[in-house]
Amino acid sequence: MKLGKVIGNVTLSEQDPAYQGARFLVVHPMSREQIGGAEDAPMIKANTLVVYDDLGAGVGHIIGYVEGAEATAPFPQPTPVDAINAAIMDEIFYNPPSV
Amino acid sequence: MQLARIDGNIVSTISHSSLQGWRTVICQPLDSDGKDEGLPVLAIDPLGAGMHQSVILSTDGSTTREVVKDKNSPLRNIIIGIADT
Repeated sequence: MKLGKVIGNVTLSEQDPAYQGARFLVVHPMSREQIGGAEDAPMIKANTLVVYDDLGAGVGHIIGYVEGAEATAPFPQPTPVDAINAAIMDEIFYNPPSV
Repeated sequence: MQLARIDGNIVSTISHSSLQGWRTVICQPLDSDGKDEGLPVLAIDPLGAGMHQSVILSTDGSTTREVVKDKNSPLRNIIIGIADT
């Protein structure tokens, strides 16, 4: 599970029936400075993801997203999902050693 | 599995049910000579590793699902060992 910032969301006009009732978030991975709380830290050069979300995260939230086959684990039937929102962060305590 | 260092932890009340109740730590994966490599990873920590301690981080979902006893859990990172040195 990795930390990502929700920077938008995606609404689908046509979708797979397995997606009923879910929303899609546009999420960008967070750099160490951003995790440490630096609001003005630049966004890192990484792929912005579209993450399946049924927890109700909104723009500006920090979430923990999971990529890969494990993202399909919560679904009863095979579902075309490879990134899912597993947790919305309330608090982050982050202090890497200052070496 | 890879070597990682505990750099912090998080609190999350709105999450997948399998995450509730587990200590969730922020791990910094390390390369072969112990320097930071890549972005931090969130993992559940059944062992209670201390801050800045070197741990062994597993990225395998089936291990995690067995530990949290929830076959529908999307979690995939778990601390499975605390390194001595």
